[in-house]
Amino acid sequence: MIKGKAWVAKTYVMSFEMIIQQYWTSPIDPVENARWVMAGVDEAFNKENGFKDFGYTFIVAGHNFAGGGKSIEHCITGLMGAGIKAVFATSFARLQFRNAINYGMPFITARDMNLGCDTGDELEYDPESGIIRNLTKATQFESVPVAPFVAEVAAEGGLMSFIRKKIADGSIADLH
Amino acid sequence: MAFNSGRDSVVPGQLVWVDVHTVMTMDYLGKQCFKAFESLGTDKQLFDKERVICVSDHLVPPPTEQWATMLNEWRAIVKSYDIPNFYDLGRQGIAHQVMVEQGHVLPGKVSIGTDSHANTYGAVGAVGNAIGVTDAAIAMATGKCWFRVPETVKFYIKGTWQPWVMAKDLSLHIMGMMHWNGHLIYKSLEYCGPAIEALDMAGRMTLCNMTVDLGAKNGIIAPDEKTAAYLQPAAKGQWDFIASDDDARYDAVYEVDVTNVGPTVSRPDKLDDVVPVEQVVGTKFNKAFVGTCTNGRTEDFAIMAAILKDKQIHRDVNMICIPASTQVYLECLQKGYIETLVKAGAAFETSSCGPCAGIHTGVAGDGDIVLSAGNRNMKGRMGSKKAQIYLTSPAVVAASAVRGEITDPRTFDV
Ligand code: SF4
Repeated sequence: MIKGKAWVAKTYVMSFEMIIQQYWTSPIDPVENARWVMAGVDEAFNKENGFKDFGYTFIVAGHNFAGGGKSIEHCITGLMGAGIKAVFATSFARLQFRNAINYGMPFITARDMNLGCDTGDELEYDPESGIIRNLTKATQFESVPVAPFVAEVAAEGGLMSFIRKKIADGSIADLH
Repeated sequence: MAFNSGRDSVVPGQLVWVDVHTVMTMDYLGKQCFKAFESLGTDKQLFDKERVICVSDHLVPPPTEQWATMLNEWRAIVKSYDIPNFYDLGRQGIAHQVMVEQGHVLPGKVSIGTDSHANTYGAVGAVGNAIGVTDAAIAMATGKCWFRVPETVKFYIKGTWQPWVMAKDLSLHIMGMMHWNGHLIYKSLEYCGPAIEALDMAGRMTLCNMTVDLGAKNGIIAPDEKTAAYLQPAAKGQWDFIASDDDARYDAVYEVDVTNVGPTVSRPDKLDDVVPVEQVVGTKFNKAFVGTCTNGRTEDFAIMAAILKDKQIHRDVNMICIPASTQVYLECLQKGYIETLVKAGAAFETSSCGPCAGIHTGVAGDGDIVLSAGNRNMKGRMGSKKAQIYLTSPAVVAASAVRGEITDPRTFDV
């Protein structure tokens, strides 16, 4: 069970605003990327550790979270470094959805949940059942179940460790 | 996908590891890919160094000292792996153009790249897919990448292309129908029908290129004789014709009659704010840009040269043209398009992404109104957030540049 405060996106959240252009080439590192993550999304986040310092645990969004088509993984590591434990959205842009799976960051599909939540609401997420409770509003949402592969990768701490282990024990050839 | 994952069949939603034919990475993420790859413990063994394609495109020639240093690090790492297919300044091009024109993507095979417009590879019947650094590193080590088998949406395009109407217009038209990152998110798009068969390879590349902006996983066109003729001189590897199974299941089928599609424009800030050119005719602009992985090909400059021959670009318009690759540059030079366009008052730059992502060679400043044949027009995409970007075809850009205001090429006296 994960509990914490949510930030609710008012409009589309774009990957190129989550990490603004000057940081596209910075090293992919949770601590480093968390300093400027979301800087272009909202004026309130546009200072060092601007988003991180709000101490959110969850993000709730509508369609196409992290859209706009950038492949940069800094968006995901930045959120991780800023303490985000899960993102709930109606849909995700496929590139960042993929990156999130690869980093073991839960990107959870929960339709229209943004319509019934406000920034600052206290949420509780049960990864086992996929149920998300809004404790502030006393409401509840269901999410789309996560594929076994995704859970397996997350349990290994991300795809890099998952693969590293398979290379080390020689089972890499069995990937299919 | 079934074939490339060693299976007889796959179903949508299934997660499978697929054999990739090629992995592409480029200057500004490439070093990170190699570093991540090295951390996997394969003792620096690439799965196949002939099939790891490295390109310098976003940062060349380097506009700042910082990027010159980054490029030097990039070159050093590529050199240390003795990568034979390294397209660096002098032989460079936008990665997606290079991948297709140099035969690194083949029908029926899966190729991945660390840039979103890898969807372009579908033009030759390949599955082209954008991935991040992690996926690239893993593919460089294992030759594999995981995929969720997508649902397929078919676009049947019929009718006859009207004069001065280009694949870009159809692409923007579909953007208006389906919305930017809208209903097609995660889907695989298949373009087919007589109007697609009539399209040249450049147009097919434009169309597949922009499927990523529809939110789709990839876009694909079945290979035909045109594909074979195009690939024949350059193809690196064997390939077969593949087509969809006759009993292929589609999530949805859309039909568009291209006879009714005219020159089309996407208005600033939102890609799907699409209108027929008539609705924006007369809009003044001060910058024009033709290049990018969407519309920087020889055929694009050919149509511009036809329009701008013996004409002068308006004094209030600065036009920048950037061929998508060195090969395209050379072709345009040999065919005389560059001479025609330079005489008309266009400025040419060496091949790179240029100002497309707001990096260099002609970025937009405050108050600029840009008429671009590129692919994205969100606020700040080409530089200043106080600039506006209209997107359209090279034909509309050329005709409009003469008048200094958006012009319908069909009403233009060529
Ligand atoms: S030309 Fe533009 S869209 Fe294409 S790869 Fe370069 S920056 Fe990306």
